[in-house]
Amino acid sequence: MIRLDAVSKSFGDVHALEGISFEVPDGQVTGLLGPNGAGKTTALRIVYGVLRPDSGVASVDGIDLSADRIGAQRRLGVFPHAQGLYTRLTAREHILYFGQMHGLSGEALKARAAELISALGMEDIADRRTEGFSQGQRVKVALARSLVHDPRNVVLDEPTNGLDVAATRQVRTLLRQLREQGRCILFSSHVMQEVSALCDRVVVIARGAVVAEGTPDDLRRQTGKESLEDAFVAAIGSEEGLA
Amino acid sequence: MNWLSSFWVVLAKELREGVRDRKALITALFFPVLGPVLVIVMLFLVSDSSRQADEKGVAIPVAGRENAPNLVALLEQGARVVDAPADPVEAVRRGDVPVVIVIPPDFGEKLRAGQPAPVRLILDESRHQARPAAATAERLLAAWSQQVAAQRLVVRGIHPAVIEPLAVEREDVSTPASRAAMLLATIPFFLVMAMFTGGMPIAIDVTAGERERQSLEPLFAAPVPRSSLVLAKIGASGFFGMATLAETLIGFGIVPLAVPSTRIGFSVQLDPEMLVTTFLLCLPIVLVAAALMVIFAARARTFRAAQTSLSLLMLVPSLPGMALAFQSARPPAWLYAVPFLGQQMIVNELVRGTPLVQSQALLATGSSLVLALVVCAFAIRTFERGQPLFDA
Repeated sequence: MIRLDAVSKSFGDVHALEGISFEVPDGQVTGLLGPNGAGKTTALRIVYGVLRPDSGVASVDGIDLSADRIGAQRRLGVFPHAQGLYTRLTAREHILYFGQMHGLSGEALKARAAELISALGMEDIADRRTEGFSQGQRVKVALARSLVHDPRNVVLDEPTNGLDVAATRQVRTLLRQLREQGRCILFSSHVMQEVSALCDRVVVIARGAVVAEGTPDDLRRQTGKESLEDAFVAAIGSEEGLA
Repeated sequence: MNWLSSFWVVLAKELREGVRDRKALITALFFPVLGPVLVIVMLFLVSDSSRQADEKGVAIPVAGRENAPNLVALLEQGARVVDAPADPVEAVRRGDVPVVIVIPPDFGEKLRAGQPAPVRLILDESRHQARPAAATAERLLAAWSQQVAAQRLVVRGIHPAVIEPLAVEREDVSTPASRAAMLLATIPFFLVMAMFTGGMPIAIDVTAGERERQSLEPLFAAPVPRSSLVLAKIGASGFFGMATLAETLIGFGIVPLAVPSTRIGFSVQLDPEMLVTTFLLCLPIVLVAAALMVIFAARARTFRAAQTSLSLLMLVPSLPGMALAFQSARPPAWLYAVPFLGQQMIVNELVRGTPLVQSQALLATGSSLVLALVVCAFAIRTFERGQPLFDA
């Protein structure tokens, strides 16, 4: 379970988050929805501990990130907005490296890496250096390394960005599997289709604050709109930054 | 997962990536060749030119030799008198000849009349290489002048010693050997360059490079202490710096084998013991260099900006060592406490075969270790604030 409690964050004069609060329950896919610049990435970065909030509390399974960043990060699988890879390491070495940083080692780690490689259908690229990988291949490597320690909570920042249809479907399938396994999944998107295809719950943010929250049906009911897209526009009060 | 194991995990990964980085590897493998090869070549050049000088004496061009045969005869005792070029002033200015003595036609006339006989000495004080020849010319002219003065006094029944209140005895201890030793003073400079140059590609790759490839964010999201992260990165850069330093030292170890001591006129102290001592002495500043480079590269905006700033950074500690080649006075003791400079001064002495002075080594090592701690603490703080990721 992931919780944000009145979290604020400013960069100089820019107020990226202004007292944002929401909860991401286990066993569900929660979509963080908002136009570009709404503060989605900032919120997620605070959740996975690379940014510190100016005020408020972010916690993972009840562990306050400000107090125990590492403890909270152990329970998180992180797929950041930027999925940079090490061009001189192979796909498998990426998975092993992140597994080691999560405290895994030896045969157990090797077995886990092999398991992920076959689950993501990346046997053909597993032992190639990642230089020159396609966007789809890169996403697979990034997904595998974020899941190597079998995290209870998974945070993904626009995971299907730049993917073709096949790869997008693969990611969706994976997210549904993770949900079946009872994990807590938080992902951000500005793509409406994505959210309606996947999410059990939606948190809509705009200008650094939560403007609507609930199931897609709740959202439609609250705003009195037929489609989720109209509901979303009604919630944020503008069409800016939509896709 | 404890601190140490995460440190090792990150260090192992950075080193693995480092040895797969062709640019880093080429730098680490080829830079060490540069210093020793340069020194060997220059030693050969120095020994050749000084041998020429020793065998035939300094060549001094003289214009108007026929005007003062006696003077020329004395000059020939201390130097090799050659014909002056057509335009002496221009030739000296261009550096074609180190010095020219011009004897005007009225020389003999004035001399016989007992008036000061004019002699022009054309030289260029700004030319370092011209100084020995100019000094020789001046010395010989003065000697001749003195000789004539003494004769005149004797003719008048006065003992020449009367006008010689000082009996200066000039003893030049400079030899081809000490000239070569000046060259060897560039060794400390090359050592500092080696530790920076070897570690630089890694320092940039693990900071600015990681940010540019966007792999820093996933790394910062991993459950490892930032301090272990940054120290592992410093460690990886330092390892390459250390390897490059070791290779450079081995290269210098070859210098005495390549240049026989009979040729340069003295024995170079570059035996294994001296090299190992130097290596150990330099370890603390290897750490300082690596940590400084990681900090600077982490704060640079881009990969290229990091390259520029590190190249400049590298000059700061290596240049004072270069000055050692020209220093002559005994340096004050506190200078040994200046990191980099202290080590370079000590190595400079070791090369000349002076035994290691323990207090100097302790001073240099102690101050460098303190600086290493400070710089590492600063690097940790930079990473704990997440600066490399966001504030570049």
